[in-house]
Amino acid sequence: MTRPTGIRGAGIRVVGLTKRIGDRKVLDGVSFEVNPGEIVAVLGASGAGKTTLFRCLTRLAQCDDGEIFFDGENYANTKEVGLVFQQFNLIRRLSALDNVLAGRLAYVPTWRVMLRRFPYADRQIALASLDRVGLLPYALQRADRLSGGQQQRVAIARALAQHTRFVLADEPVASLDPESAKGVLSILREVARERAIAVLVSLHQVDFALQFADRVIGLRHGRMITDLAAAQFAETHRQMIYAT
Amino acid sequence: MVNPAPAPKLMEAVIYPDPARSLLVRAPLRSAAIFLAIVVVYAVSLTIVDFDLARLWRGLPRLAHYAASAWPPDLRELDILLYRALETMAIAVIGTTIGAVIALPCCILGAKNVTPGLWIYRPVRAFLNIVRAIDSFVFALLFVIAVGVGPFAGVLGMGLHSAGTLAKLWSEVIETVEPGPLEAVSLTGANRLKVISYALFPDVLPNFTSIALYVWEFNVRASTALGIVGAGGIGQELKNSVDQLLFDRTFTILIIIVIMVMALDQLSSWLRRRLL
Repeated sequence: MTRPTGIRGAGIRVVGLTKRIGDRKVLDGVSFEVNPGEIVAVLGASGAGKTTLFRCLTRLAQCDDGEIFFDGENYANTKEVGLVFQQFNLIRRLSALDNVLAGRLAYVPTWRVMLRRFPYADRQIALASLDRVGLLPYALQRADRLSGGQQQRVAIARALAQHTRFVLADEPVASLDPESAKGVLSILREVARERAIAVLVSLHQVDFALQFADRVIGLRHGRMITDLAAAQFAETHRQMIYAT
Repeated sequence: MVNPAPAPKLMEAVIYPDPARSLLVRAPLRSAAIFLAIVVVYAVSLTIVDFDLARLWRGLPRLAHYAASAWPPDLRELDILLYRALETMAIAVIGTTIGAVIALPCCILGAKNVTPGLWIYRPVRAFLNIVRAIDSFVFALLFVIAVGVGPFAGVLGMGLHSAGTLAKLWSEVIETVEPGPLEAVSLTGANRLKVISYALFPDVLPNFTSIALYVWEFNVRASTALGIVGAGGIGQELKNSVDQLLFDRTFTILIIIVIMVMALDQLSSWLRRRLL
């Protein structure tokens, strides 16, 4: 499912996204693009609107104004949007492989899911996805027996098995130690490149953002105050984003 | 010399305004009223149930006489009695299973976090409350009219009542499940049935089984009482023996019930320990 990069209108495009809670604008006219194969990091202090942005993108929350495009379409098949969560959100009692197979649920008839009889091709996709994140040896291990970093890699494999073209990762490394965090982020960057996936990731460590992202978006009180290449990000930007 | 501190009593009066005193001093009137209410409840209840220790005292020799006549236990029809015990266990197995089959869809429709909507949640909850309010043997009594005396009526009654209990306990398990994994799976584009069978079910399965074993265990005890309304099992033998004043036979039946229930308790708690 690789797609060439640089297609016009491809990737994620957000235009003037606004979300109010009461009188307060938690998101205020946020606009940006994430191209296929690119990782864009969202930075911001707590309460800057990062989580609200992700909830609007996954349609867990309704936005009040603005538009969201996936590959130029105003609407995306949810099965093409892969999600990675801070708490991994794996099904704890199922094996790593079964969790990755969850990414195939939208492609498989309901009766097959209920009987747990996945077609050969889907099982192959799941195994390949697990192999891609380096966890093939743990395929039959129960998810809750894996380390945090391994669980997050299973979650990435689940997104890959969806044949996703967009990954939305809200604080994917917030509950991981620095080494596991780097492992997770570098895998995310590699698969973004290989499969031309547009990745939007929120982080609270600026250093990780600069090391792994192509571009950095800064949110402050719901407004987007920076949108620049990671290389151009300077100390002044950091101060602007996190100023109290 | 330093000035002496003001008297503590005075300070209290200054720091704590009047209402705070009510926390320190019990209202004697209120305590008396509560005490009186409790006395009235017990007095009325004891009168209603015709509680009379003297009567028990006078009746004790008679009970002792019967108890003496229960020894030695009558083992002549042991094979029949054991078969009846088996029947009791079979009623519990089939009754619990019928309950589980009815409860499975009900617990999903009746759990707030996975129900398709209030339009189905409310009627399902109402149905479950009704079948839970009516005991197995009351249902059995009604089913005896339909299908006649025998274990089948007992099985049906038990099934209906157990469905209510199981569905209530199961839906409580579902409602405490972590929402994250379910949300993650449903956002892959999977429909509700897929999410429930693939993500929810494996998570709740151990708890579901443990609850079902508990209800089964409970149903074995309940089904001894079922026999009394003519719904088969060892309860029926118990009733017959008491009615005919065959106390040695009654004693044998009681021993069988105690051993059976204790063995099942052990078996079921061993199974549950292995599950969790």
